[in-house]
Amino acid sequence: MRADGDGSATQEQPPDGVPKIGVYVCHCGLNIAGKVDVERVVEFAATLPGVTVARDYTFMCSDPGQGLIERDIREGLVNRVVVASCSPLMHEVTFRRATAAGGISPFYFQMASIREHVSWVTDDSEDATAKAKALVAGAVRRVAANELLDRREVPVHPDVLVVGGGIAGIHAALTLAGAGKRVYLVEREPSIGGHMAQFDKTFPTLDCAACILTPKMVQVGQHPSIELLTYSEVEEVSGYVGNFTVKVRRKPRYIDADLCNGCGLCVETCSWRGVPSEFDEGLGTRPVVYMSFPQAVPRLPVIDRAGTSPCTFNCPAGIKAHGYVSLVRGGRYEEAFNLVRQATPLVGSLGYACYAPCEDACSRGRLEGALPIRRLKRFVADTLYGVGPAPAPTPAEPTGKRVAVIGSGPAGLTAAWQLAVRGHQVTIFEAAPEPGGMLRVAIPAYRLPTPIVDADIESVTALGVEIVTSTRVEDLEELRRLGYDAILVATGTHRSVRLGVEGEELPGVLTALDFLRSVKLGEPVDLRGKVVAVVGGGNVAIDAARSALRLAATGVHLVSLEARQEMPAYSWEVDEAVAEGVLLHNSWGVLRFDGEGSVRRVELKRCTAVFDAQGRFNPQYDESVVQDLDCGAVIAAVGMTADAGGFAPPLLTGRAGTIEADPETLQTPLAHVFVAGDVVTGPSTIAQAAGQGRRAAFMIDRYLAGRELDAAEFARVLPAVDAAEVLARPRSPGRREPLAPASRVVAAPSDFAPTEPPLGEEEARSSAERCLDCGVCSECGQCVAVCPTHAVDLQMPEREVELQVGTIIVATGYKPFDAARIPEYGYGRYPNVYTSLEVERLANASGPTQGEIVMRDGRRPGSVGIIHCVGSRDARFNAYCSRVCCMYSLKLAHLIKERSGAEVYNFYIDMRTPGKGYEEFYTRILKEGMHLIRGRVAEVTDWAAVPEEEGKLVVQVEDTLVGAVRRIPLDMVVLAVGLEPQSDAESVRRTFNISCGTEGFFTERHPKLAPVSTFTDGVFLAGACQGPKDIPDSVAQAGAAAAEALVLVDRGAVELEPSTAFIDPAACSGCRTCVGLCPFNAITFDAERGVATVNEVLCKGCGTCVAACPSGAAQQHLFTDAQILAEIEGVLARA
Amino acid sequence: MPEAELERRFDPRIVAFFCNWCTYTAADLAGISRMEYPPGVRIVRLMCSGRVDPQFVLAAFRHGADGVLIGGCHPGDCHYQEGNYKARRRFELLRMLLRDMGIEGERLRLEWISASEGDKVARVCNEMTEQIRALGPLRLRAAPPRAGRPSAREAAGEGAGEPVVEEPVGEAAR
Repeated sequence: MRADGDGSATQEQPPDGVPKIGVYVCHCGLNIAGKVDVERVVEFAATLPGVTVARDYTFMCSDPGQGLIERDIREGLVNRVVVASCSPLMHEVTFRRATAAGGISPFYFQMASIREHVSWVTDDSEDATAKAKALVAGAVRRVAANELLDRREVPVHPDVLVVGGGIAGIHAALTLAGAGKRVYLVEREPSIGGHMAQFDKTFPTLDCAACILTPKMVQVGQHPSIELLTYSEVEEVSGYVGNFTVKVRRKPRYIDADLCNGCGLCVETCSWRGVPSEFDEGLGTRPVVYMSFPQAVPRLPVIDRAGTSPCTFNCPAGIKAHGYVSLVRGGRYEEAFNLVRQATPLVGSLGYACYAPCEDACSRGRLEGALPIRRLKRFVADTLYGVGPAPAPTPAEPTGKRVAVIGSGPAGLTAAWQLAVRGHQVTIFEAAPEPGGMLRVAIPAYRLPTPIVDADIESVTALGVEIVTSTRVEDLEELRRLGYDAILVATGTHRSVRLGVEGEELPGVLTALDFLRSVKLGEPVDLRGKVVAVVGGGNVAIDAARSALRLAATGVHLVSLEARQEMPAYSWEVDEAVAEGVLLHNSWGVLRFDGEGSVRRVELKRCTAVFDAQGRFNPQYDESVVQDLDCGAVIAAVGMTADAGGFAPPLLTGRAGTIEADPETLQTPLAHVFVAGDVVTGPSTIAQAAGQGRRAAFMIDRYLAGRELDAAEFARVLPAVDAAEVLARPRSPGRREPLAPASRVVAAPSDFAPTEPPLGEEEARSSAERCLDCGVCSECGQCVAVCPTHAVDLQMPEREVELQVGTIIVATGYKPFDAARIPEYGYGRYPNVYTSLEVERLANASGPTQGEIVMRDGRRPGSVGIIHCVGSRDARFNAYCSRVCCMYSLKLAHLIKERSGAEVYNFYIDMRTPGKGYEEFYTRILKEGMHLIRGRVAEVTDWAAVPEEEGKLVVQVEDTLVGAVRRIPLDMVVLAVGLEPQSDAESVRRTFNISCGTEGFFTERHPKLAPVSTFTDGVFLAGACQGPKDIPDSVAQAGAAAAEALVLVDRGAVELEPSTAFIDPAACSGCRTCVGLCPFNAITFDAERGVATVNEVLCKGCGTCVAACPSGAAQQHLFTDAQILAEIEGVLARA
Repeated sequence: MPEAELERRFDPRIVAFFCNWCTYTAADLAGISRMEYPPGVRIVRLMCSGRVDPQFVLAAFRHGADGVLIGGCHPGDCHYQEGNYKARRRFELLRMLLRDMGIEGERLRLEWISASEGDKVARVCNEMTEQIRALGPLRLRAAPPRAGRPSAREAAGEGAGEPVVEEPVGEAAR
């Protein structure tokens, strides 16, 4: 072996001068010699220039064959070697070694593949001989151009990555860890165990799968050398053999592994237990927070979250809408109430009067109708308030900080509540005699009764918040002096916009706010017998109009600038108003009010456009079209503005009198002053104002703690789940009749009783049961509350970790064939057609039926048929045999018969039992009295041809041993589904740069001699990802893969192919074409010398840069232009 | 000799540049599976289809190839990430250039053949052989050596001159 480290680009001649080429033609028994006239090839080779020795031998790869090469080199006959035999992928390494053993560089060797590329693919012997000669000529010409090369060694990182925690991955990891190596075991699911954990018994020994698997799982969990990364996926692999860098995405479990003690209280308390259990193949259900199975490793639950449910995502107040729906479904009303109150104390107000954007977003809305989410909240509030004052939560430890909140509307109340819960001492200053803001004075009682507002406010005062009423604050400095550490201005929009038309000051012309306030506070407002004109098209105008109706006005006319469909009021509100008797006058504006002593008439002018081309409010009128409306009173509801004058300065006011502040942090230029609600946003909704209050409280709390204000932190929620995705889930939601929408219309309204009837408990719970659980987890927070170690963290982010390893074992397993792809077998259509994996779960004592073989209707089957080869040996799906189905079918046959006493039929094509003890097992099952029918089942049907088939599944099959078509009536049919590659095998193989066959299983380097290696050095295969195999084979392969990894790890270094690129600086023109071509950034430009250089460590030896080099300066060791051109010339030579 | 018989006796020679990881392995698989294809196909192993220098293709034609086949990994499967894309770019340009030189586009072919597609190797080789057989032999004559500095490849010992298409000289066998 040459060990003198000449320069890697050495072009010099071998030590002993002129090339003396030895050609060795292999017979490979008759594999080559049977087709190629080996002797003639040798004769021909001897005539080629430079050839000094030409020989043939039966098996060149044998010791004597290799000895020929060694001897010839030693004797000085040969200094270059050509072997014409099999593929270089097979024996290049062997012959390079023989060449080196002779005493020359192993790279003075070239191979001609005259077996794979000649004798095995050519029919005619003459043609084959000619082609063999040509390939030998190519190799001879090429070897003459071969150079002396350095050997490259790189160290191997001792750590190993095992991907996949099934039995193969587990065994490989334990083997490596047992050898003292550090192993990272990455598993996608929450627990290791793979498919084997789902099995009941294993063939042929019938020992229980869990009994033999779980001890190994526990060992993995406890082994100090194994780092287990469950619920994680490999995202990216870079580097090369010995030095891989692996990025692993760790999906959030939402449970802190370091804090969790595995007590399982979270699992017990979860509010939704109806998620189809993956582990039980959907036959049973599990909670949202769950452990896959009792023996799961690690013993750490996971919270299943698909995202934020659309209802929750769309709540401006930040209420976990899905959460309280889920709690109502479980009858946990107090928990539901407290969940809403985590966001805002206005449970009742929102339950009665929210505009419910949650319902617009509800995925059920795309089916038969959204859930009545708001009414469920009202139900909760009614229920809790009906039994007495709401339970007060315990506030946090007092912080000693004092906050003044100015204004007691939705924003102020919510902020005060949030701050008080966090332990701050809060005082609310309210200008009006009673707290509540718009809730109390503007929203009519038929929508929001005052006692509800009082009850909501009680939640706030119960926490020790002091509300100082009838106190108008206008001096912020004063509050500062009084010792408040922070101030929140939440004064709302209590100033009415004036129309600015003639006659507006006439008695009888009221503003909507004044009118609604008087009505709500019970002050006398006499509209009896009067015709009332309401001016405005928004929700407040509607409230005013409907209130006027209730005060016995003889006619209520609503005059709106906008056309009906443009009106800013919710269209259903307009509909309700019209239904109650409000008369609409759309596209009219007020010209003037007229009357003596009091208003008698409104003169209207035609409004031709409300908005300009930019969509801005800019009404245009046609004053030639007018109309008079006689009336006894006018209510003007044309807008409200903030009344922030008292604070400016020092605060800045903006558009429509609102106070300016950072929209994210709500902080004003005075650091200790924050604003929230309509006074910032302009008139909005209760929910929006409450949301503002919540945000302001969050920010004030951070401000008081001296922390940075971070809006991103406040808004940290998972993305909303797409409704379409929810509806496409495998267990598609059936239609569930919604409640008839409650009519909120009163035929002849005469009082202010709520228009909407309450939900009864029955209605509430059945409505909540319609929930589709879009986000899976509803964020009801019960697990958070119950966890004794505070391990639940719904804010847990996804993490990425980077691992350094030297070798990788891919053991990603298989996926069972989807039986629904064969419609004639009726899976998914007939409830009593099962897959084999489902029956494994039925048979398992920890399964959904506690090990009883019963059908979906609860009956015990009297007869069961097992159909073999479902999805295997079927040209329509998979041509291959899945290897395990015959044996597991026999096992299931045994279990079914043992557990249920049923008659069991096996429908098979061929019985394949080729393993140790397998044939004996088959014989044993035969003796147990199974029915075996040889033939591929044509169809499974419930169509009865004779009375005995009534109510049965009929298997129609040609019994090929009898030669007759038979119809077998059965209670239950089991489909023995085959094994398929994982559905993401394609992306996995790209990640690891390995290849797969047409069927999708990963390809081993050589089907016989390198069964666990791949074409990427350092990456090995184990288990069913390489092809269908049973447990013993998977384990054996895993051991082999571990051993292969150990070879590299323990040697500590690997030799790399020397086929890297290099650049001859003398020829390089510095054009830099190569630099951009290299995907591995191995080429850099040396600006000083004006030439490109290749970093040999990074170069992987593809040669792309070489092919592109316009000056021929870039070359590739072992594949120089000269070598390849020589080979081309050689293979085309006419022999 | 009747023309038809001459036609039959023409066995096109095709140089096949196969990448080590996909197509060369597929060719081995074709052999292991005993899939027959014409003996005129001569495979040259490269590490990547991206290593195929247009000069190799021209050299193959110059030395008597009737066709050149380039085999690489399927898009997205390149062992070196993107060598096959580079090969495809060069292939398109080269084919245009060859057409300008009077060499039919069918004589240069690029195929993505994965390691498991031994059957595809055989199919493509059969197809291409038939196509070229239909086109007939490629006739080139050497151009006179160019004046001036020799190219790097000429310096590397390669034959001088670019291939030039010969005028058809009847149906005479070569």
